[in-house]
Amino acid sequence: MAILNLLLEHRDVPGITNIDVWEAHGGYDGLKRAASSERQTIVDEIKASGLRGRGGAGFPTWIKWNGLPKNYDQPHYVLCNADEGEPGTFKDREMLLKLPHAVVEGIIIAGLATYSKVGYIYIRGEYTEPAWQVRKAIDQAYQKGYLGKNILGTGHDFDLYIHMGAGSYECGEESALMSSLMGERGNPRLKFPHAPLPTVAGVWQSPTLINNVETYCAARWILANSAEKYASYGTERSKGTKIMSVSGHIARPGNYEVEMGTPLMELIREAGGVINGRLKAVIPGGSSVQIKTAEDCEKINLDYESCGANGTLLGSGGFMVFNDLTDIVQLMKRTAEFYMHESCGKCTPCREGTRWMFKVMDRIASGSGQQGDIELLLSIASQVDGRSYCGLGDAACWPIVGAIKAFRSEFEYWIEHKCSPVGSRFVPPQVEPVNPTLALTAK
Amino acid sequence: MTSTSYNALTDTFIPKPLETPSDGDRFSDAAIAELEEIVTHYPERKAACLPALWLAQREYGGSLTPAAIREVAERLQLSYTEVEGVASFYTMYNLKPRGRHHLEVCTCLTCALLGAYDIVHRYEHELGVSIGGTTADGEFTLSEAECLNYCGGATVIQVGDKYFTGVTPDNCLSLIEELRKSNEFTPAHLADSIVKIQTPGASVTGGGSFTSQDLI
Repeated sequence: MAILNLLLEHRDVPGITNIDVWEAHGGYDGLKRAASSERQTIVDEIKASGLRGRGGAGFPTWIKWNGLPKNYDQPHYVLCNADEGEPGTFKDREMLLKLPHAVVEGIIIAGLATYSKVGYIYIRGEYTEPAWQVRKAIDQAYQKGYLGKNILGTGHDFDLYIHMGAGSYECGEESALMSSLMGERGNPRLKFPHAPLPTVAGVWQSPTLINNVETYCAARWILANSAEKYASYGTERSKGTKIMSVSGHIARPGNYEVEMGTPLMELIREAGGVINGRLKAVIPGGSSVQIKTAEDCEKINLDYESCGANGTLLGSGGFMVFNDLTDIVQLMKRTAEFYMHESCGKCTPCREGTRWMFKVMDRIASGSGQQGDIELLLSIASQVDGRSYCGLGDAACWPIVGAIKAFRSEFEYWIEHKCSPVGSRFVPPQVEPVNPTLALTAK
Repeated sequence: MTSTSYNALTDTFIPKPLETPSDGDRFSDAAIAELEEIVTHYPERKAACLPALWLAQREYGGSLTPAAIREVAERLQLSYTEVEGVASFYTMYNLKPRGRHHLEVCTCLTCALLGAYDIVHRYEHELGVSIGGTTADGEFTLSEAECLNYCGGATVIQVGDKYFTGVTPDNCLSLIEELRKSNEFTPAHLADSIVKIQTPGASVTGGGSFTSQDLI
């Protein structure tokens, strides 16, 4: 088990963003097969493959696809979540940039499977460069008749539009994304069981399917090849592959597609190993998941079950590697600052809790920590976790609680000695502007 | 002085119309046509709020002034406050004027780990402004960005539409030199024109000239 390029197989083919080159490499075969199948056959194929959502939660994809009503009382919508914002993750960026047709094809297949006539791809505002590739891909697909009226003679119409976000991490959460798509502030909404599922009443109160970029690409691969082939990779309950975005203190950062169940240490070896020191810790799934020590990493395999059993999550695949010169307390302070900045402010536990946690973390990491601050952090976290509208509140707590569990001695060292146990570069030196006349308009 | 009047008959308070600035509409005919096309993508007019604000930011020269927000509100038949609420929520809408080049340095986890704060301090020192400030000559605005999601190419700096990757404290000043020489105006983003379906057959412009390096 190691590197296994299924979705990223053609990423280095020159001109693959062009539809002719894409078709020459088996592109739109998945769509052609879907077009000649019944709706339920497509859903069954996804079910047989065992595909689980790649956006972070790992929810079985076929349940969503199957959940949309089978009648036509209301319009149905297909949404693609390309609002990638999780620190450490950059897989969607590469997919949109290098394989835009795979994404577009996957969304059209989902449109056929759910009887949707309209799809939206919600791309974060910063991703103008990948969005232009998707724009070109959509326009080419229209010319070839894969989008528009009567796709491939099925009698089914499908239009795909791009919706650009404007810089909000929160909009990657599905109910906030739907608010943002409807032209509102990106605030989340009540969820199941307090409100209907998006598949029943989503965007504009219509049945809505929403999946991540990688999920649609995987669905396309399954239709283009076969569910059995996809299910033959991976472990018993985590099938297929996962794209891991490797960054941090690593020799060759980048996107690596690995078979589910690959040992974590093998991915580090594949990426060239740790640089400038020895391995100290790994965050395997983006900033929202628990940090793991080097000893724990030996036990972890990259699949949903093994990560869960070891007290972390596979998440969105933002795999960050830290060497032994990394100050975990400073790192967690920066994480807390991120969540404080990105909390949308709708619900009190998250809005206030993220600020409190940042204040306490800042106090510790600037040398003013007090005895009892660790307990205070744990207490705040326990009052935010599970009590907010969406997962952002939980995601703000998990890394801090995880870090205290794994590296408690470093927190204690900071509080006692008022300095870093490793001497970190995070500590920003205070620099005064040299030219005061230029600084006149500074805020 | 009260801003509302009470209607005893219906037991409601009637807000007085807000005095919104009006120095004439500034959407060009092309922008109006673009907006009307975008509106057809959605089942209701309100949903075009985000793209309309992108358009307004372009038409009003890089920032959303109260007049820009009023024009968007009128074109989408929404209230001024509703549009202002949306515009103030998202960080990429500039409510204040920005400099000619908007330097957004990613200082999130991986970038911070690999020296993003050193770069920020070098820029602060070079430009003489602190984070969030604009230089007096209006050339540069310096800000800190949350994760730009190109962690494999840390440190990342976003200038307008472009990502500059692999920036280090040693080479970061050459970026400023380069930008000083360029004639472009970069605070606005291209996000306004991507959503528009291009005419079939026409070559798509604007996407080809980016400088960010490829990932390994």
